[in-house]
Amino acid sequence: MKLRTETVLEGIAEALRDRIAPNLDDGFAANDARIAQTLLAITRLARDDEVANKVEENRRLREIFLDAAPAIDDPTFAERLEAASRTRDPGLRIAELDAETGRLRNLLVELHAHVEQQEGEEARRIDQSIWRALRDIEAPRAPRA
Amino acid sequence: MPEADPDPLETRIADYLCHRIPGADDMQVSALARIHGGISQETFRFNAKWSEYGKPEVKDLILRRAPEAGVVSSEHGVEFAIYEALANSSVPVPAAHFLEADPAWLDRPFFIMDMVPGRPGMIYGTDDPFDGKSERVGRDFWRHLGTLAARDTAALRNSGLRSGDTSDRFWQAELDYWEATLDQDEDIVEPIVRGAIRWLRANPPPEPAHPAIVHGDYRVGNFLFLPDGSISAILDWEMCHIGDPLEDIAWALDPLWSMDRYFPLDEGLATWEQGSGTTIDREALDWWRLFTAVKTSALWTTSEKSFEEGHNREIVLALTVLRAGPFHRKVILDLMEQRGAMG
Repeated sequence: MKLRTETVLEGIAEALRDRIAPNLDDGFAANDARIAQTLLAITRLARDDEVANKVEENRRLREIFLDAAPAIDDPTFAERLEAASRTRDPGLRIAELDAETGRLRNLLVELHAHVEQQEGEEARRIDQSIWRALRDIEAPRAPRA
Repeated sequence: MPEADPDPLETRIADYLCHRIPGADDMQVSALARIHGGISQETFRFNAKWSEYGKPEVKDLILRRAPEAGVVSSEHGVEFAIYEALANSSVPVPAAHFLEADPAWLDRPFFIMDMVPGRPGMIYGTDDPFDGKSERVGRDFWRHLGTLAARDTAALRNSGLRSGDTSDRFWQAELDYWEATLDQDEDIVEPIVRGAIRWLRANPPPEPAHPAIVHGDYRVGNFLFLPDGSISAILDWEMCHIGDPLEDIAWALDPLWSMDRYFPLDEGLATWEQGSGTTIDREALDWWRLFTAVKTSALWTTSEKSFEEGHNREIVLALTVLRAGPFHRKVILDLMEQRGAMG
């Protein structure tokens, strides 16, 4: 059986909780050891989900741009949205995905502010669909521990 | 040749106290221990014994030292100025003794104040943080906040507090401040928080009846209480400013640490109204509740940056970021949904 990174992190967390923290005389340091154990538990669980969550967020943002572009009154901006909807993640490393998420989120903020200023039912529909998408994207980001 | 180790902190504190207390001699600092006193300042407790013009003196004291970087980017003297301004008032604060900006003494700015009896109510890991005394704690909590809101701000006009020379649009000053913090510290933008900021700007609250001293972090965990439930000290004033008193009420009701878990909300707000002499505008309070979630998000962003860049490696900072960041984005989503943002 292969030793998984998650298991290693779990082992370190258990050592901090059960063997290291109880043997520290300094209260501040013992508390830090307990916090470190909690942090390891959170990061252990987050690690498994991280790439999938980021890929899904980027896919969802591109879907919003594709949906919104036809309703945007500024043709240059509409073109930028269409172009962004056709992009792909440059790789699956966290840093690559984060850079892409940053670019897509900046455009989303711009789009959201734009439709808030536009009149009409279609603008309201897009505005509300962005908020619902943000709720969906946020849900799996919450720590599991 | 290796550099000589600096004197232990106890010795350096003793040297400083001798320097500041006229007639002090034979200063001994002992029982120095780092304690958790918020993540915006390093907090130590210690005992000092000395002879003052031949008369023996002894005191339990607290040292609050600025971190290298942290959650709150504020003038270090703000908290000290508040303790001085509220000394001997009906709002309980520790007696503050010395404010020192010269890093030669203890590497970074710091101040020294009395250690006040009592303990903080922890917001995690217990259903009863007040040992069965939540009735008394809750009443004191809201009464003191009401008293603070009623206090004349004139004494603090020149203390360097944010908005100290402003007479209106406090909501805008605060929103501008925290949005600028996000602009400065955010690595990847959070569209949820930015959406909330736009909503807040488009739907401003009415002006308060009068400007008030706003604590800025008034919540469970930032005060001490005694065994009988009375509050002995309100602490952690680093984010204090002049503004709308509803800001502190909304902050106290944030779901991460809300006092209404332990004391009935309506009774708490009525106690505040009695203490302040002001009626709460519930619609305006709702504006400040959304603002609270934005401000907390900005604080966690600054924490994230400090930890990521290695300026502050307090481990509790990382835990706060990982848990509280998503928590407050969820709060924003819930509040925006209540406002009909999702249809």
